[in-house]
Amino acid sequence: MKLFKYLRSGKQTQRKKATKNKRRFTKRKFLLTAALVGLLLAALYVVYLDFTVRSRFEGRRFALPARVYARPLELYAGLKLKPAELVAELELLGYREAATPREPGSYRWRNQQVELVTRPFTYGDGPQEANSLRVTFAGDRVQVLQGRADNASIELLRLDPALIGGIYPGNNEDRVLVRLDEVPQLLVDALIAVEDVRFYAHRGIDPRGIARALVMTVSGKSVQGGSTLTQQLVKNFFLSAERTVRRKLNEMTMALLLEVHYSKEEILETYLNEVYLGQDGNRAIHGFGLASSFFFDKPLMQIDLTEAALLVGMLKGPAYYSPRRHPQRALNRRNLVLGEMAEASFITDQQLLAGRITSLGVVERPPRGTSPYPAFLSLIHRQLRRDYRDEDLRSEGLQIFTTLDPWVQRAAENALSKQLQRLEQGRGIAEDSLQGALLVTDAQNGEVQAVVGGRDPRFEGFNRALDAQRPIGSLIKPAVFLTALQQPQSYTLATLLDDSPLLLQQPGTEDWQPQNYDKEFHGQVPLHTALTHSYNVSTARLGLQLGVPSVMDNLRRLGVDRELPGYAASLLGADTFSPLEVAQLYQTLASGGFRTPLRAIREVLTFTGQPLQRYPLDVEQVVDASSNYLLTAALQEVVQEGTAKGLHRYLPKELGIAGKTGTTDDFRDSWFAGFSGDRLGVVWVGRDDNQPAGLTGASGAMTVWAEMMAGLDLEPLVLPVPDNIERVWIESQSGLRSASGCPDVIELPFIVGSAPTESAACGPGSVGNSIKSWFERIFQ
Amino acid sequence: MIALRSIVPLLLILMLAGCAVVQPSIPRPVASGNPAVVALLDKAHSQSAAGELGQAGASLERALRIEPRNALLWQELARVRLDSGLYRQAESLAAKSNGFAAANRVLRGENWRIIGQARSGQGDYRGAQAAFDRAEQE
Repeated sequence: MKLFKYLRSGKQTQRKKATKNKRRFTKRKFLLTAALVGLLLAALYVVYLDFTVRSRFEGRRFALPARVYARPLELYAGLKLKPAELVAELELLGYREAATPREPGSYRWRNQQVELVTRPFTYGDGPQEANSLRVTFAGDRVQVLQGRADNASIELLRLDPALIGGIYPGNNEDRVLVRLDEVPQLLVDALIAVEDVRFYAHRGIDPRGIARALVMTVSGKSVQGGSTLTQQLVKNFFLSAERTVRRKLNEMTMALLLEVHYSKEEILETYLNEVYLGQDGNRAIHGFGLASSFFFDKPLMQIDLTEAALLVGMLKGPAYYSPRRHPQRALNRRNLVLGEMAEASFITDQQLLAGRITSLGVVERPPRGTSPYPAFLSLIHRQLRRDYRDEDLRSEGLQIFTTLDPWVQRAAENALSKQLQRLEQGRGIAEDSLQGALLVTDAQNGEVQAVVGGRDPRFEGFNRALDAQRPIGSLIKPAVFLTALQQPQSYTLATLLDDSPLLLQQPGTEDWQPQNYDKEFHGQVPLHTALTHSYNVSTARLGLQLGVPSVMDNLRRLGVDRELPGYAASLLGADTFSPLEVAQLYQTLASGGFRTPLRAIREVLTFTGQPLQRYPLDVEQVVDASSNYLLTAALQEVVQEGTAKGLHRYLPKELGIAGKTGTTDDFRDSWFAGFSGDRLGVVWVGRDDNQPAGLTGASGAMTVWAEMMAGLDLEPLVLPVPDNIERVWIESQSGLRSASGCPDVIELPFIVGSAPTESAACGPGSVGNSIKSWFERIFQ
Repeated sequence: MIALRSIVPLLLILMLAGCAVVQPSIPRPVASGNPAVVALLDKAHSQSAAGELGQAGASLERALRIEPRNALLWQELARVRLDSGLYRQAESLAAKSNGFAAANRVLRGENWRIIGQARSGQGDYRGAQAAFDRAEQE
C-alpha cells in the first residue's frame, strides 16, 4: 500500500512534475507558437504592405505617356541662323549659360561665337553622343562648326529636340511626367539639401535624421520632419491626415520595402512626379512637371535656380507657401532654400546673393493646358490613332518625333492673334468676334511646321485648322484653271474667256446667275487675267465647258480625299473644306504637281529607343510638270498684280510668291493660300457663328499670312522651267501673237506648240516689227 | 505574242546590263557644295550598302531638308525606293528629280533609267521601253 502510496505519490509527483513540465512546455510552446504566428502574421502583413506599396509604385511608374518632340535643329556650315536664334533654341531646350560650358546642356555666347555641349540623345538612326563644339557665325549664317577639343570642323550636328507634350493616361490627364535625366540638377540638389540630405546614403529611413529632427525640435531651433524622401513618397501614395504611431510604422516599413525593390533613381523619379505641390480649384497639382507649367508656364527642363528653390520650398506647405496667394511668405521660404543649398555647397555665395534678389517669376494666370501646342498635338494624336491603340499611346512610353518647328509655330500664333486684334480695332469689328486658323508646311516635302487652331493658341478645344468646314470661295479656282491648262490644244494662259452675263437653268434646281465681285462683266478676258483678278463669271463658264465632274476629279487627284458633290456652284467654291484639306490641295501645286501627303510625324521609337515606325516622304506625280508650271506662273501673277497685290506691303516682290485669295458670300469667310520656294501657308479668318466677318481674302486672311511670313525669312519661289515651255509675246486684247515692244503686250509661258500662231497687227510678221528688228540688228 | 513577251524583258535585262557596264565611265556628278549634304549622302550610301534602306531613305530626307532643290538627292531617294521595290514611289521621285535637273543630261538620263526600271517592275514593259528610249536621247 505504502509502496502503492509511494508509487502513487511517486506517480503523483511524477504526474505533478509531468503536469508542471507539460504546463511549462505548453506555455513555451504557446509562446513559441504565438511568436511564430505573430511573426507569420507580421510577415504576412509585411507581404501585404509590400504588395500594396509596390503595386502603387508600379502603377505610377509604368504608365508612361507617349512623348512628343519637335523637329531637332540641324546645325551645319551655311545654315541661315543668327547667334541669337541659336541661343533662343538652346534656351527652349533648357540649356544653361556657363562661363566655360562643360556639362551636357550648357552654352556660352560671345558675339559671333556660341560654345556648347550638346546632350546625348537617341534618334531614329541611333544614338548621338554629347558633343562639345564651337559655332562661329558670319552675318546671319553659320560659318563653321568645330570641335572644341581639336578644332576639327564638324559637318553636321543635331541638337536634341524640344519636348512639346505628351499623350497622357486618361485618369491622369493632368500630369506632366518627367524623366530623371530631364530634371535640372539644381532642382535635385535643392530637394536633397532641404528635404533629405542623406538620401543617397540611407535605406529608406534615416535614424540619424530622426534623431537630428528630435534634437532640433526639442531644442526649439526648428520643427523638422525627419521623413526621408522615400517616406514622403509613401505618404503621398496614401494621402490621409491621420497621424498615428501605426501609420508612421506602416510608412517606415513601406519605405524600407521600396528601397529593397527599387533604385534610388527610380524612387527619386517617382517622387518628383508624385508629390503634391498645389491646388487649382478642384484640380490637384501633382509632380514638378505640372507644377513648373502651372507656376512658370514652362517645361521643367527650363527652370532656373530660383524657380527650382521656390518649388522645393513649397513642398513643406503648398497652400501656406503658395506664391500666388502669399508671395512674401513664398519668397522668404525660397531664400531659405537657397541658403541651405549654399550651406551644402550646391551653389556659390555669389549665386546665393544673386538668387535672393531675384523675383519669384510666377506667371499671373496658370496656363490652361499642359502642352504649349495643343492644335499641333491633336493633329499628331489623330495621325497616331490610325496606327496605334490608344492605350499603347498612353502607356508604352513611345517617343514621337514630329515636324513642328517651334519658331514657325510662334510666328504663326503671334501673327494670327495680333492681326485679328488689329483688324477688329481698325475696322470697328466687335472685339474678340473674329476667329482664325492656319497651317504652315514645307513646300517641297509636305512636313507640317505649324498648326494654329484659333486665336488663343493654348486653348485645347475646337481646332479650326482641322475641323472647321467652311466654303472656300475662290481658293477653288486653281483647280478649274488647271483642268483647262491640262488641255493645251484647247486652253492656254492667253485663251480669251467669256465674262459676259451667265444664266444657268437646270431642271429641278434654282437658276444660277454668278456675279463678279465688282458687280461688273468684263467681256472677253484672257484666261490668266480671269484668274489673276478672280473673275467669277468667266471661271464658272469655263468650268461648265470643262464639265463639273472633271474639275471635281482633278480636286481629288490634287489630294482632297473624299467624295465631292459637284454642283455648278462648286466651281466657285460653295463646298466646304477644312484649312488642312486646303493645305493638302495647295501642297500639290507648291511641290510642282507632286501630291505629297502632309506629314506631322517623322518616326516613332519605343521607350528604349528602338525604331518602331517611320513615316517616309511619299510623292506621287498627279499633274504634269508643264501644266503645273503654267498655273503656278498665273498664281504668281495674282500676287504681282492681281487680288493679292497688297502682299507687297509686307514682303518684297522678288520673292515671287504664288497665292490665291478667297472670299465667300457676304464676307463670311476670308481665305488666303500661298507659297514661296520653301513654305506653304493657308489661313482662314471668319466667325464661329458664321455671321459676316466683313473681310475679303485680301483684307483679312492675307494680312495674317503676310505678317507671319514676313518674320520667317522666306526663300524665293524660282520655278524650274520644264523643257517643253516657251515664252511668247501676246497682245492682251486679242490674244494674238505679238512681239516685245508692241503696245499692250505680255510675255506668257506656253507649252511648246500651243501658243497662238496668228499674228496681231503689231507682231513678229508685221511691217513695223520687221523694221524694228532690222534696226536692232544694225545696232547690235 | 508570247515570243514578244519573253523578248521584251530579255531586252530590258540586256539593256540594264549595258547600263551597268557604261555607268562607271560616267563621271559622278558633284553632289553638293555643302559638306553636310555630302556627309548625309555618304551616310545614305553606306546604309544602303548595309541593306538598311529605310535608314538610307531617312538620311536622304535629312539632306533634302537642307537642299530641297538638289536633283541628285531626289534621284538617290528614287533609287532607294526602287531597291525597296516601291516602284510607283521610285518613278515619281525620279520625275521629281528631273524637274530640278535642268540641263544636267547625265542626271536626267539616269532618272529615265530609274523610271524605266520602276515601270518594268510594275509590269509596264512598253512604258519602260519608252523611258529607256528617253534615257538614250538625253
